[in-house]
Amino acid sequence: MVQVTEADTVLNCAELSTREVNAALAELPDGTHARITEPWGRHNLAVGLSNSCTIEIAGNAGYFIGGLGAGPAITVHGFVGWSVGENLMSGSITVHGNASECAGASAHGGRLVIHGDASARAGISLKGGTVLVGGDVGHMSGFMAQAGVLLVGGDAGDALGDSLYETVIYVAGRIASLGADARIEELTADDVLTVKRLVDKAGFDHIDPENVKRVASAKQLYNFDALKDQKY
Amino acid sequence: MCGIVGLHLKNPALHGQLGSLLAPMLDCMTSRGPDSAGLALYHDEGARTVMDVYKDVGLPKEICARYDIASRTGFQGIGHTRMATESAVTTEHSHPFTPTEQLALVHNGSFSNHATIRRRLVREGHVFDTDNDSEVAARYIADQMTKGADLDDAMRMVLKEFDGFFTLLVTTSSQFAVLRDSFACKPAVVAETADYVAFGSEYHALASLPGLAEATVFEPSPEVVYTWSR
Repeated sequence: MVQVTEADTVLNCAELSTREVNAALAELPDGTHARITEPWGRHNLAVGLSNSCTIEIAGNAGYFIGGLGAGPAITVHGFVGWSVGENLMSGSITVHGNASECAGASAHGGRLVIHGDASARAGISLKGGTVLVGGDVGHMSGFMAQAGVLLVGGDAGDALGDSLYETVIYVAGRIASLGADARIEELTADDVLTVKRLVDKAGFDHIDPENVKRVASAKQLYNFDALKDQKY
Repeated sequence: MCGIVGLHLKNPALHGQLGSLLAPMLDCMTSRGPDSAGLALYHDEGARTVMDVYKDVGLPKEICARYDIASRTGFQGIGHTRMATESAVTTEHSHPFTPTEQLALVHNGSFSNHATIRRRLVREGHVFDTDNDSEVAARYIADQMTKGADLDDAMRMVLKEFDGFFTLLVTTSSQFAVLRDSFACKPAVVAETADYVAFGSEYHALASLPGLAEATVFEPSPEVVYTWSR
């Protein structure tokens, strides 16, 4: 559902190229609000912005939405394609729909909230960002994630957290299988507090912070062991 | 990178618009494949189903204009825009590959063991038109079906036999089928309404379709064969 709010600037994708939309967004003064209309799966909307504005995308959007962002708060009223919030630095992206593959890939900071499901490889190579998915995530989510948090409100697909580094993954539903070197650890009081805080920020009301699984690295693959089996 | 589109029209009222609906979808995938493009379109002639194939080198929009795709009618069609990664850019190397009169295949991805499977098929008497990896998958599926497999089974055998990554869209005179590799390496979006099943490598390829806003839109899961029949 598209919530119509008062916007300082309305940018219609049917009339503007992606470059024109992004150039107009980059010029917005801090504190202003823009709405992007008729996106119809357009890629690369609202990428590379460093101003502190709020941006609404009124419909389904394509790849790399909000990528490289360092400031804006972006809300998508629809679903998004691959790599939403890729390399996000700060600010937030909220998707009121599903996300395709690689949601939040390599995000260094900021917060990506997906109210629907995320497809394969959600939070791949996460580097400090926060990825909060209300629904399910697909296979190989959290692959090689180095820092930050991935919260899954639904179920996780196969090979969750394969080759994890320091990212912690919380899963409220079932886990199809864990990836290499990922393990389920005991939930601490600190974890419960962290999940409470994340759930509040995301606005999820279906996750019990005391009933999530904590997935973290077993650190058996953490460093390359040159002496292992004396083969090298 | 390549682009795939497809339309399986459930509502006969849309059959007159097959080409005019499919051509803008193909044009939209130009960024994924500007080298060459092709389509396979199916229509009925009395009790017979006819598959027409158009493929050529150049921009999808120019190819659609050259062969007047927008005026074509029928009940289903698939299209491909090619960015060649492993064999020459010629009309013969472009998709769809049509090993039989009724079977067409378009592929986004690349196979790594196609030479091995090609050698086996050649030993069994199959003749290839090109050294393209996707042609091997097309002839493999046709071979499986000749030996008695239905389209679902033949596509499942691709999962067992082929290494590599792929999103495949395969059509016969009565079916429209989608399959993605185990890792879902290549994108795929399906939109279904009461009137049609539409396939696109990217959602915006579907944006020009009537009633898309009300369609059920989903990404096909890896390793699952999705089939629609007339």
